[in-house]
Amino acid sequence: MNGRPDSDGRQTGDQSPARKGKRAAAGRRGPARGEWFGVAALVLCLAASAGLTRWLELRRPPQATAAAQVSEDLYVTPRAARRLALGFNGVAADWYWLRALQYVGRKALTHRGDLQIDDLGPLNLQALAPLLEQATTLDPQFLAAYEYGAIVLPSVDAEAAVRLVEKGIRENPQAWRLHSYLGYIRWQQGRFAEAAEVYSVGARVPGAPPWMGAMAAQMSAKGGSRETARAIYEVMLRTTDDEQTKLLAFRRLVQLQSLDEQDALRRLLTAHRERAGRCASGWRELSPPLRAARLNVDASGTPFDPTGVPYKLLAERCDVELGERSEVLRNY
Amino acid sequence: MNGAAAAAAERVIAGDSQQDKSDAGGRAREGGSAPARRSALGRVSAIARNAFREAVRDRVLYNLVLFALLLTGGAIFLGELSAAQEVKIIADMGLSAMLLFGVFIATFVGVGLVSKEIERRTVYAIFAKPVGRGEFLLGKYLGLCLTLAVNVAVMGAGVSLALAYVRGGYDPLALKIWPAVALIFFELTIIVAVALLFSSFSTPALSALLTFAVFVIGHFSADVKSFADGGGAAARALFGALYYLLPNFSHFAYITDAGHGRTPEPAAFAAAVLYALVYVTALVSASALVFKRRNFK
Repeated sequence: MNGRPDSDGRQTGDQSPARKGKRAAAGRRGPARGEWFGVAALVLCLAASAGLTRWLELRRPPQATAAAQVSEDLYVTPRAARRLALGFNGVAADWYWLRALQYVGRKALTHRGDLQIDDLGPLNLQALAPLLEQATTLDPQFLAAYEYGAIVLPSVDAEAAVRLVEKGIRENPQAWRLHSYLGYIRWQQGRFAEAAEVYSVGARVPGAPPWMGAMAAQMSAKGGSRETARAIYEVMLRTTDDEQTKLLAFRRLVQLQSLDEQDALRRLLTAHRERAGRCASGWRELSPPLRAARLNVDASGTPFDPTGVPYKLLAERCDVELGERSEVLRNY
Repeated sequence: MNGAAAAAAERVIAGDSQQDKSDAGGRAREGGSAPARRSALGRVSAIARNAFREAVRDRVLYNLVLFALLLTGGAIFLGELSAAQEVKIIADMGLSAMLLFGVFIATFVGVGLVSKEIERRTVYAIFAKPVGRGEFLLGKYLGLCLTLAVNVAVMGAGVSLALAYVRGGYDPLALKIWPAVALIFFELTIIVAVALLFSSFSTPALSALLTFAVFVIGHFSADVKSFADGGGAAARALFGALYYLLPNFSHFAYITDAGHGRTPEPAAFAAAVLYALVYVTALVSASALVFKRRNFK
């Protein structure tokens, strides 16, 4: 038989040129009626399903608040996750890293009030340490995760932060920056001798910059001083790749500058009181010594903090404090 | 027998360059000239080219579109989510997707290399000609490896471009990922060989399952070794044998390192490539031995 089955399985047999032409013309006219029904059914059903979804959403009980939804179950232990990753460790570590960032972000969004990345204690970030532990077990060379933990974790669980960074040092013995972060945690805890030791060990890592050794010496000599704090944040600002950490270091440096300025203002107020027998009633009275001290003052002699807000004179206490609109950090 | 398969079989034997370029949908050769005798290498090469064309016709390379979408999405959105880690994440994601897609292609196309020919009965046409069964298997294997090489190379170029995009110019990581890309390819060549071995004596579904199981076990090699080291004498013998007999994919696992810009030591890279070649030779030889004993009547 020369014919071949058509789409319905019927034998079509030979076709004359006229019939072929007719069929071709029919084909050119566009989809058959049945096809139009199919397209219409597809569009209508998709639209109906979208409508039903919307209807069901509106009738669903109100969802729990975002804070209540923050439940970061790890599902598997870090070691098991490493085994199950099947060579996709990097991607799995990235996934836990993104989860950690999202976890902190969601908690921060639901919090009312000012927050600093190094003071997230009020957020109760219980799952952060396990998430970072998971990410760094899957990818032990994930330096960003260790550094983030060193900045954020101390206010949540300082010992977890120390464990994380020490693990990072074990896994990455050449990463001198991790020594500086561990020193930073110890410095925050007020354990200056240990901080000095950490900086000293870090200074011996090949490729470590000279300031690591200087930091060790400074930490031993005057660990709790403002000078040491300034040195730590200047280094952090210079060396970190993380924008949030950069911002933190910058704001802490601004805070330190403001603290220095407030000390200078207090000295001038005290000197004026000793000289005049009373406290200055306004900044104008102190204008010449303020200018002499190279403080940032306007034409009326009012001193400004580094964020451009005037310092507030507390005449009754003969003291100074930040203006209400000041963006200088107030916590230490 | 369908026309396309018959024509492919003819072309395999003839090795006519014009036929190689002809529509794979298959017009039979005109004139019916006597098939030119070719060397074994020529016959294997012709079969490999046909296997490659068949994979392309089967739209295997369409996975590249999905890969491109994944990378584009990653490059655009990860910057906001990853806290300055977008370069690492794109490298990890791109290389992992390359391995994952490659494993699926190697498994599902690999198990069909032989079974499809038997199902379509094109093997009769091929083996009626002076083509050895080993040559047929080797040609099929190399054809799929060529498909995977193209796939992996295009994906590698895509990852490099995505890295350049997120960095706004050249990034050293765009070049440093290539040793890892090459090792992914060599890992895939082993998976194809495993699929070929299973498909030479088993059903496609079971072959796919077993091949995937080997992929999983191959990534558990460290655990297999720890079982061997920590167990009794019998366990030590069993797991020790499994450790050395099953493919060890940890030799090729440099994706995570590549994300940090680290490349394998040249000696480790060369040893991994040699390991792949040796292992593949063993598996293809085993497949050929099994396939030669197979009765198609």
